[in-house]
Amino acid sequence: MIVEFWGHEFKVNIVLGCIGGFLIAIVSSMFGFGGGPFMVPLMTVGLGLPMYVVVGSSLLAIFFNTLMGTMRHYQFGNFDLLFFLIMFPAAILGGFIAPQIAKRVSPLTVKRVAVVGLVLLALNLLGVY
Amino acid sequence: MKRFWVSVIIALSATVFMLYQNGAFAEKPKETKAQAAKEEKKPAAKAEQKPEAKQEEKKVEALAAPTIQTDKTSLNNGGTVTVTGTAPAGKPVYIEVWGEKKVRASRFDADVDKETGKRPYILYMTYEMPAYYKIFVPKDKKEDFEKIKKEGKKWAYSKALKDLGADIAYSIPAKVKIDRYQATLMGSIIGSRGELLPAMDEKENKKRSMQLVKARFRSPGNVLAPTVEVTPDGTYKAEVKIPKGSAPGKYTIVAVVDKNAKSQPVSIENSISFPNVYLTNAGTSLNLFGPFLLTLGIVIFGVLMGAGGGFIMNPLLVSIWPLPHTVVAGTVMPTVLFSQGSGIYNYSKIKFISWKLGVAIGLAMVAGGFIGPKLTELITLSQFKFVFGWILLILAALMFWQTTPGYIAKNKKEQAIIKEFKKKAEEAAKAKQS
Repeated sequence: MIVEFWGHEFKVNIVLGCIGGFLIAIVSSMFGFGGGPFMVPLMTVGLGLPMYVVVGSSLLAIFFNTLMGTMRHYQFGNFDLLFFLIMFPAAILGGFIAPQIAKRVSPLTVKRVAVVGLVLLALNLLGVY
Repeated sequence: MKRFWVSVIIALSATVFMLYQNGAFAEKPKETKAQAAKEEKKPAAKAEQKPEAKQEEKKVEALAAPTIQTDKTSLNNGGTVTVTGTAPAGKPVYIEVWGEKKVRASRFDADVDKETGKRPYILYMTYEMPAYYKIFVPKDKKEDFEKIKKEGKKWAYSKALKDLGADIAYSIPAKVKIDRYQATLMGSIIGSRGELLPAMDEKENKKRSMQLVKARFRSPGNVLAPTVEVTPDGTYKAEVKIPKGSAPGKYTIVAVVDKNAKSQPVSIENSISFPNVYLTNAGTSLNLFGPFLLTLGIVIFGVLMGAGGGFIMNPLLVSIWPLPHTVVAGTVMPTVLFSQGSGIYNYSKIKFISWKLGVAIGLAMVAGGFIGPKLTELITLSQFKFVFGWILLILAALMFWQTTPGYIAKNKKEQAIIKEFKKKAEEAAKAKQS
């Protein structure tokens, strides 16, 4: 498939993209997360697209998945309204506060902290400690 | 823009079609069969009542029912109730306690059947599991109880009841209505729970209900406690502790010395007040500031590190509070919908989205998102945690890769390009407006 973006044409291996997206969607909707950090490497490394094409388009692809996953979870009775009403305002508020903080911290530091945090959390979940 | 609307219509119609398919194939037969199951149950229940009544008459002569008193009639967000009474001398006393609030419990049976050697792949599900259920056993069973605890994750509730002699007190969950679905691979792919199997007989229902109790309450300490003090003359005393975060409402307490020698039920009222709230679907009450602050902190951190908060949110939520993983996954997903939607809107304003690419991969993702939520209820919490552990390790590796010098150098260039494009795009959008 050929994708045109701001005057440039990119050749995209859409089969790989769809299979990858499909698998990521299953896992992410099963475990209830968005899936962005997996979609972006898939599209940049797997499909060879430059970052500026990927940022918006990957978000659009994930949105489809989240929308469908939400509907299905609701259908299976996995949705708790009150719980949602507690977390939703916090998520919106966080979305407004975060960009203010983002200007003051280096993304590299945040990522390094995140790596350590994620590994610790993962080992905890795997029952290592 | 025209292309966008066409793709949205395609996506929506595909979604509606899928939902319709699922609704038509899976939902309708469920209702009729559930009705049939109810009808089947009725005559069975009637038949049982008679011999039971007779037995009771006989037993009353042999074994007097214990008496029961409590020191309190109400609790505020959990607490300890002292239960005292008199039972026939020399008999162990069990105390069965349950809350009136009901929750869902499910268990997917994919273990090899010892008799046939096949995997049954049956999903057991009930909507009537008490949100709180516990049997207090005599103190002298403490050693047996410790042994059960040592078995770790593989402990079996039915065996534990037998070992502690508590099976005589096990009554409430045994009667819940359990639906059985025969899961198939194809069914799971189109997202149906499978075919509803006929209702089970009383004995089978009891056996399966024990597995569901374990699925819901997880660890032995949540459903059993060796705290009943029995003196030789038959008086007993027990401290029934209703933990913080339990469901509000009426709790019923019954002392049991034998299957047919049960005390009158006593009830206490557990109330919760702001800021504690009860999550109906999760069967847990919690201080609402807890999840609020956690979400706030994690969303901020998530935006900074460039990954959605769901990755950290879900494992933390199931670890900190006794929330079922199904409810956590099903509730966290919609919270990110809004931020994703606003992100798309912002990008689309400056035409920074390739609709063709996004929709093409998005359609594949819609199919994936259709299957995933079905699978959540087939796994247990420990499996959920295990897989999530590995997902996080992969994510950590991706994050680490993004901090390597090679990636940073490349990223710097790309960020510069993005900035340039955004500037151009914004100017173009402005020019159009004026």
